[in-house]
Amino acid sequence: MAVSPASSTPPLERYRVLDFSDERGLLCGQLLADLGTDVVVVEPPGGSRVRRFAPFYQDLPDPNGSLYWWAYNRNKRAITLNLGAAAGKALAHQLIAGADFLIESASPGRMEELGLGYDEAARINPRLIYVSITPFGQAGPKANWASSDLVVLAAGGPLALTGDDDRPPLRVAVPQAYLHAAADGALGAMLAHFHRVRSGRGQHVDVSAQQSVAIATQSGALATLFNAAPFRRHRGGLRLGILENQIIWPARDGHVTMAVAFGANAGPFMVKIRQFLYEQSRLPEADPELKALSPQLEDGRWPEEARDAIIAAIRRFTQRHTKAQLMEIAQRHGLLIGSLETLPDVFASPQLSARGYWRMVEHPELTRAFAYPGPFARFGTTPIQYRRRPPTVGEHNNEVYAGELGLGAARIRELEEAGVI
Amino acid sequence: MADEKPLSGVRICDFSWAMAAPMATRMLADFGAAVVRIEPHNRYDAARTQPPFLNNQPGVENSAMWSNCDAGKLSIVLDLARPAARRVALDLVRWAGVVMESFSPGTMRKWGLDYEALREVSPGLIMLSSSLMGQDGPMADYAGWGYMGAAMAGFHQVTGWPDRDPSGPFHSYTDYVVPRMTALALLAALDHRRLTGEGQYIDFSQVEAATHFLAPAYLDYSANGRAARAMGNRDFNFAPHGVYPCAGEDRWIAIVCENGAQWRALCAVMQRPELQQDPRFGSITGRLEHAADLDEIVSRWTAMQDQYQAETMLQAAGVPASAVQNCSELTADPQLAHRGHFVKVKHPLHGAIHVESNAIKLSQTPGSIETAAPTLGGDAHHILADILGYSEDQITELAEEGALG
Repeated sequence: MAVSPASSTPPLERYRVLDFSDERGLLCGQLLADLGTDVVVVEPPGGSRVRRFAPFYQDLPDPNGSLYWWAYNRNKRAITLNLGAAAGKALAHQLIAGADFLIESASPGRMEELGLGYDEAARINPRLIYVSITPFGQAGPKANWASSDLVVLAAGGPLALTGDDDRPPLRVAVPQAYLHAAADGALGAMLAHFHRVRSGRGQHVDVSAQQSVAIATQSGALATLFNAAPFRRHRGGLRLGILENQIIWPARDGHVTMAVAFGANAGPFMVKIRQFLYEQSRLPEADPELKALSPQLEDGRWPEEARDAIIAAIRRFTQRHTKAQLMEIAQRHGLLIGSLETLPDVFASPQLSARGYWRMVEHPELTRAFAYPGPFARFGTTPIQYRRRPPTVGEHNNEVYAGELGLGAARIRELEEAGVI
Repeated sequence: MADEKPLSGVRICDFSWAMAAPMATRMLADFGAAVVRIEPHNRYDAARTQPPFLNNQPGVENSAMWSNCDAGKLSIVLDLARPAARRVALDLVRWAGVVMESFSPGTMRKWGLDYEALREVSPGLIMLSSSLMGQDGPMADYAGWGYMGAAMAGFHQVTGWPDRDPSGPFHSYTDYVVPRMTALALLAALDHRRLTGEGQYIDFSQVEAATHFLAPAYLDYSANGRAARAMGNRDFNFAPHGVYPCAGEDRWIAIVCENGAQWRALCAVMQRPELQQDPRFGSITGRLEHAADLDEIVSRWTAMQDQYQAETMLQAAGVPASAVQNCSELTADPQLAHRGHFVKVKHPLHGAIHVESNAIKLSQTPGSIETAAPTLGGDAHHILADILGYSEDQITELAEEGALG
């Protein structure tokens, strides 16, 4: 099942993580699993709700075929457990006793109702680090709000700044908010771990997704407190208070990104681009509109009244070239141009290939291997390994309940029949 | 009090700049790491040059971005082209045992400050190099900002309207995706060193890390051959799912129904109980299929509503909804206030300045922001005299040689 060879083992191999989370927290456990911890996902009988998220492998709505599940459960093991049943709670307590970290993303108060809240868990295992990932944090006026990716992005700031000014604010179509929070959860877990190393005590790590996404306003969240002009969303560009620029440009075969700034604060990065455009306007083969602009482009003055004409001229220029040609021009003239890569472009990227980024992970029951995004960091001596494909529902029940908790076969059958596992 | 923090005793010699890597060391500083920023003599840190600026006045000590990325750190300016400055850098590496840097690949080597050289002076060194595309490969030299990282990782393809040029996520998006992963990698290496004494080099590519935030779309491509495309605010799993206009100019509300109960509650709030019976919307499959109709129905209602009143009504009914909040609304947000998101710290030039806190609350050893982001080279004397133990004569000599920029 496992994957690429490596010279050494990942850094956090000695720790055990219990993962009770759903889409709000699964990346947290996966980051820790990639770093070598033994992560056991605890799902309700029948499987996590995330297993019902599209897209699916071959579009078949199979709980083991959700690509959303695959994306955030690599390197984990999975068991099923009915936390609402008394026997289920008792087993959960046994698992908690042997864990170093616990991750959960239930609405505040829900774990307490189940008898699995932080205080209860800490009584069982005072060394436990207990990570809670929620939309707004454990307490406060919005802590019990009904939420979703889009709601967190709206409340936290980035939504207002994304998209075109003549359309509604816009999100990234792949849900992002809880990924920010889950990654913060993994960092929080390790921060608490360093305290545990010295004190021998665990603690409660409380992550607010709203705060996690506020960072993605590029400090726009501070504008009012800085008595500065607010950031606004703008089609194809940025309106950062006193700094305005266009950053999206059409190419013959797609789009590129290149910051072209206007206004008083355009800054030193614009010198080369302004010089380049002026030189282009002086070429015999330049298009007539660009030629006509030439006097206004001279000395990099770019008068405000020529802004629309300059933008139109640059668009015509970029439109005549392919993304690859524009990148080459950028290299030659010291401009900063990036290709807006399509997903197939990224998949075929010579850079990522040269670094062996994509990792083939075998799914033996499907008799296929699939390319997964590779290690999030390259460790020189403790490399991340892709040891396990994402687990199927209850795949490790036997391994955990019989092998590790020492339950007999008869007891396991009993628990299965009672719907506990 | 500082002794109580989880990372007290951890020291970082930080050559990084701009946003992505400094934000990682900023988070570690909140939790007790001592971080010394080495700023180059010939180029201002990009974060110092980015808005918002205090009172709209551009200036290297006025940026909110700098305030956010570098609070709690110390700053010294070094001209690393000079041997004397490099000796100071080596002493700081020896003091720290942990190095962070984000120059273009090869730059540290040019100065003789690459991992192989530094581990000679600091056995057990942990060094993390953060770059856009990684330290090797045909595009290793490709320098760029976070918005280019977002473009190179594919984010623009899934952020936009189907009938238009891609919008892309807001600005330097990958700079805000990766910092916690950078910091996490560093802490994992620190734990390994704690137990084995073994240091290591970490090659951190911002594009490679950020790609994990699009993993479901990449798996859809690798497993099904389907390349996700812009779909506005629609969702694969939920409908209605959108951002709808409210009364007033540029006022919006985000509304999502993840299940039938939330949909029926929305119908009740909109005073459209007959829609609960509408066969088009009776199942999630039906709602997804008729998402355009739903968007129209919901928009017609929201357009008459105040965004915050609608938010209150919908939340009271259990429907996921939030007003779309921009700068001034964030400042006034009661939940962010409850979490202590905006922190005011003393500043040597401005009296006081604001910093955003981070999202991680530890119950026993909470993070805190003790000092404002440093003024340019403002801690040089403290660093040289108190941390490195240089004499006044040595410090004067360094200044005279131009080592301090």
